[in-house]
Amino acid sequence: MFFKPGLLENRLYLVVDDFGDMRSMIKNMLMACGVREIRLARNGNEAIEKLKEERFDVVLCDYNLGQGRDGQQVLEEAKHRNLLGLGSVFVMVTAENTRDMVMGAVEYEPDSYLTKPFNKDFLKTRLEKLIAKKQNLLQIEEAVEKRNYTQAVQILDEKIAAKPANCNELRKIKGDILVNSEKLAEARTLFEEVLAIRELPWARLGLGKCNYLAQNYQQAIDEFHRIKTQNPNYTLAYDWLAKSHKRINQLTEAEEILKEAVSISPKAVPRQQMLGEIALVNQHQEIAESAFSKAVKHGRHSVYKHPSNYANLAKVTAENHDGVAGLQVLKQIKKDFNKDAKADFYQASAESLIHEAMGNSDLARTSLDKAADLQKSFDQSEDSDCALELAKTYKNFGMEEESLELLKGAILNNHTDEQLMDEVKLTISSLDMDEQAVGTIDTIREEVATLNRKGVELAKNGQLDEATKLLKETSTRMPANRTVNLNIALVLLMSMEREGPSPAMIDEIKGYLARVAKADPNNNTLQKLYARLKTMLSD
Amino acid sequence: MNFSDILASLIHDMKNSLGLVINTIDDLGQEMQAQENPKLGTLQHEARRLNSNLITLLSLYKIDNGQLTTNIEEIDVEQFLYEISVDNQATANNMGITVRYESDEGLVGYFDEWLMRGVINSLIGNGLRYSSSQILIHAEFVDDYLVLSIDDDGNGFPQSMIDAQTAQKNKKPEQGETQLGHYFASLVAHMHSNGEREGFIKLANNQRLGGGCFSIWLP
Repeated sequence: MFFKPGLLENRLYLVVDDFGDMRSMIKNMLMACGVREIRLARNGNEAIEKLKEERFDVVLCDYNLGQGRDGQQVLEEAKHRNLLGLGSVFVMVTAENTRDMVMGAVEYEPDSYLTKPFNKDFLKTRLEKLIAKKQNLLQIEEAVEKRNYTQAVQILDEKIAAKPANCNELRKIKGDILVNSEKLAEARTLFEEVLAIRELPWARLGLGKCNYLAQNYQQAIDEFHRIKTQNPNYTLAYDWLAKSHKRINQLTEAEEILKEAVSISPKAVPRQQMLGEIALVNQHQEIAESAFSKAVKHGRHSVYKHPSNYANLAKVTAENHDGVAGLQVLKQIKKDFNKDAKADFYQASAESLIHEAMGNSDLARTSLDKAADLQKSFDQSEDSDCALELAKTYKNFGMEEESLELLKGAILNNHTDEQLMDEVKLTISSLDMDEQAVGTIDTIREEVATLNRKGVELAKNGQLDEATKLLKETSTRMPANRTVNLNIALVLLMSMEREGPSPAMIDEIKGYLARVAKADPNNNTLQKLYARLKTMLSD
Repeated sequence: MNFSDILASLIHDMKNSLGLVINTIDDLGQEMQAQENPKLGTLQHEARRLNSNLITLLSLYKIDNGQLTTNIEEIDVEQFLYEISVDNQATANNMGITVRYESDEGLVGYFDEWLMRGVINSLIGNGLRYSSSQILIHAEFVDDYLVLSIDDDGNGFPQSMIDAQTAQKNKKPEQGETQLGHYFASLVAHMHSNGEREGFIKLANNQRLGGGCFSIWLP
């Protein structure tokens, strides 16, 4: 008898479902397809544990998992923690009524949705297709993982040239890679070519992103709006639309869009968080309370869990209802975060405000001091959100100077981070600070940029020592500033390339690069400098 | 909670039970290893019909509430038809009917996969009742429309139904499960649009297999 091994066999499978009947049914189906290695998990926690133990080729995960994480949160956590291999297939099993909810996922999408009921033959053909597809794309994924975008695009071009059935799927992947590596002109051409043939939401979204990244916000808004009109369920377009409105300070519009988006898909934590934050600035306390309470509720088992949502919910609950209710919310932080300094900080910061409003001045002081101490110990780039939070708290205590000092520090350390600069501006406007304060942002940013420019110019003229000196002086004022750290590393590398490597200098370079890596591991310049250091050491 | 919401949630629960029933019947069929088993065929067929009727009902409920919108994706049509034929094969075999599909290789369509799957499964379910030995699912491009048709070799649609189709395009069906299925297919076809053009359905007789031919035209 001939035995023809298929695509499905000799692979490791994980089946996640809270119903025993369903688990054993899927297991039987897989075994009937010749699969031997099958692990089972009853809920999200078990699934994550299993995913940590072994590398699975295929995960079949039900969306509804009872208490705890749902299927989407399992996927998010698995991707976030790199628990899935590059060639792994993740299939979300859904009952039809969860379909719309699932479609609202923000960042991570499964490789396929499988609607119940399905039979063995159906499962087999679907899995064969998915595994073959993953194998076909493996080289590209590997290139992307190594940040070799040029190579990834090259492989894609070769495949696209053969005009396969999944041509547009390949174009979509290529478009994403081009946008992520900021090759905006090429990306735009690709999206326009696709749209010339047919209106497809992903291509329109890509075009909108190109406009957004090129800072053509009004055009970006037009593109995103068009998707929203044609595909009211495509919530990604809402997120980008809100983001674009926020960027040009149209907060009322941003809030309205997000309100629509959360009514379509309420479980996306980052979306609720953004709505809550914007509603706070717009002084819509009820909406903020509802948004933060959902961000907390749906975030409890999610990688998007963030203590700021708890703190904001506590503060807005205290305002809308009473202080006791607010403090009650804060108790949840301790439960949901285990020995997390950042959570402690947010708790202390919110506590101080609530106590102050309740007239417990001593308790308020103690909490405020605790928050301030914790904030000082944080990385000023990675945890810049804490500086902003404390600045708001100080302002509420009438401590204008301290507040402004913190905001200045946040600007110094993160002057190229446009989003954070927006947050700083929002903070300043929501705190009714002096108009002049807004002006200082631009002044400080200009000052930092000038210092960096000078340093780079000196280095280009061969005055490496002078460049190092200037940049290091700058760095003492803004130790977490990415541009400064990257420039120092660059200049040190240049002097090593000129004078030969020294162990001390290598350590120094690694130290500066590590500061950036902590807050922004995907930074393109950072990766280039790491590569340059590696090449030099291997020569 | 109003009555229709209760109904929707109950239907959903029934669908879950039915899913288990269908899979158990499929398992039984495999254990018995009978090549053709009319009784099992009837069980499978009726359970699947129940299931697709419930899907239709839920979808109509959602359309009525304005909750259902299309999620248009690019679909590999051959794979789509292959999956559908595989899905219906076991039931059809037990009824002594073969299900085939024909599609050009590399054919790409733009439609809501889940909705169209529901529509085609329910049409095949109808076809199984009226067909004598075979059903053909066929896909091609005509005048820039993707035409998905389901042909059987039965006696075809009554002439009155074929004559009436232009008149009753958007009319709600009066009675009869077949007409409800057609009404649903028509609603779903109309939900698919590309620019100015909208999808539609067509009934005909004596096409590829000599019996009835139901086609869905998607722009």
